[in-house]
Amino acid sequence: MKQPGVRVEAVGLLTGWGPGVEALPAEARTAAAERAVIPLARPALDGERFRRATRECLLGVAAVQAMLEDAGLTRDTIRGERTALVFVTAAAYGASNVEWLAGQAGTLHFPYTAPSVLPGEVAIEFGLTGPYVILIGGPAATVDGLWQAGRLVADGQCDRALVLAVETFQECAALWTRARWTLPQPLVEATACALIGPGDSPVTYAPLAEASSLARAVERRAGRTLACAPLAALALARAAGSARAVVSGTWRGRTAAIELAIAAQPARV
Amino acid sequence: MATPVGLDLDAFWSGLLAGADGLSAVERFPTADLRVGRGGEIKKLPPAALAFRSRAAALLAAAALDLTTRAQLEAAPERIGLVVGTALGGVEELDHALSDDDGARRALDGLYDSPAHAVAAWLGVRGPVLTVSSACASGATALGLGADLLREDAVDLVVAGGYDTLCRFVMRGFDALRSLTRDRVRPFDRRRTGLLLGEGAGLVLLARERDARGPRLGRLLGHGSASDASHIAAPDAEGRGLEAAIRAALAAGDVDIGDIDFVSAHGTGTVLNDRIETAVLRRMLGARASVVPVNSIKGALGHTMGAAATLEAVMCLLAARDGWIPPTVGFEEPDPACDLDYVPGACRAIRPRRMLSTSLGFGGCNAALVLEGAA
Repeated sequence: MKQPGVRVEAVGLLTGWGPGVEALPAEARTAAAERAVIPLARPALDGERFRRATRECLLGVAAVQAMLEDAGLTRDTIRGERTALVFVTAAAYGASNVEWLAGQAGTLHFPYTAPSVLPGEVAIEFGLTGPYVILIGGPAATVDGLWQAGRLVADGQCDRALVLAVETFQECAALWTRARWTLPQPLVEATACALIGPGDSPVTYAPLAEASSLARAVERRAGRTLACAPLAALALARAAGSARAVVSGTWRGRTAAIELAIAAQPARV
Repeated sequence: MATPVGLDLDAFWSGLLAGADGLSAVERFPTADLRVGRGGEIKKLPPAALAFRSRAAALLAAAALDLTTRAQLEAAPERIGLVVGTALGGVEELDHALSDDDGARRALDGLYDSPAHAVAAWLGVRGPVLTVSSACASGATALGLGADLLREDAVDLVVAGGYDTLCRFVMRGFDALRSLTRDRVRPFDRRRTGLLLGEGAGLVLLARERDARGPRLGRLLGHGSASDASHIAAPDAEGRGLEAAIRAALAAGDVDIGDIDFVSAHGTGTVLNDRIETAVLRRMLGARASVVPVNSIKGALGHTMGAAATLEAVMCLLAARDGWIPPTVGFEEPDPACDLDYVPGACRAIRPRRMLSTSLGFGGCNAALVLEGAA
């Protein structure tokens, strides 16, 4: 059934600084103290199925788990064909690719070099069998992902859409250092997700030529989290009790923005 | 178009109709340590495309060159989008970046969205530039997302399609997985033993119906995608994700399965894919399953990964335009588990009107397109 619009129902955020927005420092650059990369540890997830899974796959699973816990939702809320999965990353596939290129990985590692395997693991873990979109790019691509997720919900192609982003940099730190004139550091590893459901925000790009104030706040506090940044912005807005937020992303000279309604965070007991 | 059977739309089409074999010994990188050293390699690219450092961007540029000789990008640059699918992006540049120290540019070229941005800048596109990477289903989803941008009035024109290069990175991977055949590629054939990889790029210009100018190839009526959520590398044993994607594409286009009169299958030539895809198509087509022609062009091109679905979609539209369906090159001996009409031997004189194209990829990706000829 077509919906009048959409809203953000839940947000999950893990960064190299720690879980949630509470862990973000006031100034990432100062807190980084010359470190080029602020890493995120491999999540300790149980299960034989995760034996071969890469760190970035587990980070994707951990973000969704954190989001469900934060919003007081069960896995059944998102399981099945009525939840879409939209995954965005600029660089999380780099670690697997470097490992494969170095010739250190076994045969069964090769599929993990595909960016689609990270959301594939998340889909298996949470039983997500709905519409499936995978975008490559930085923050602007995540805004495109939020737009796409909203469109899928508003069109009635699904009841909810999970937008997930993961960024890891540790394994390719030397390459990123070479690119530091393009991507100022610190690069902060992160994984974030937002659950988009029916609401009252129309699904349209917001006309914005430069970064929104939220985007600037995220970069100041979190550092460079690339595709995770717009989702971190939603987490910041939600934690501040905002009912709406304009999130933007700038990447390779293009700024994309979208305004979204945000459901209130459940009261903590 | 830039494909192993031709570097423009006409050569691609005549090659497919003639049953051309675009597979050959790979020359561009060493394969002596691999079980299989054959693939759908493009031996020579247009000089203008070679201005790009990365082969991925060069392939995409070759397709863009062909496209812009046939259609003009007549819209404000910021109202033109570019949406392309790829399984590998600029990964070959990552290999180069690791083995030399060519500064930042090569490292950034290794990002999967670099080829799209390079070609967008070259074309003067200043609207959204999206890179889709749903593995070997990428080219289908890219066309779908391009159509969504138009439908929602986010842009006025979209250059959409897919590309991928044949490089050592991916050859070594599929070789290690024992997915590559030492025989020829035989989609749906009883003797099929695997796929061969190919490279290529395909781009189309999408416009809203009311804005379309000049001759049109056809219409994208609907697209759908779905996740298997069952295995990271193998298709779902029942093909449930593929079936869901087909149903979504039909629903989006408001098309009944009974109106589909040609199917371009993913048809990789692997034992599992072809059996599962056949079962899904048989379920979907019902009583008409034996009479609706189904082909795979991967026997001619190899599996061009991110390019495949776009090349197959264009093939569908050309079939509708000219009234010929290309054969499934390599299909000779029927398999009891694959019992559809796979267009064996030679091209067939049929003018399909509404067509279905299916794609699958690593990560449980499934996508489907419903197309209609211009007629």
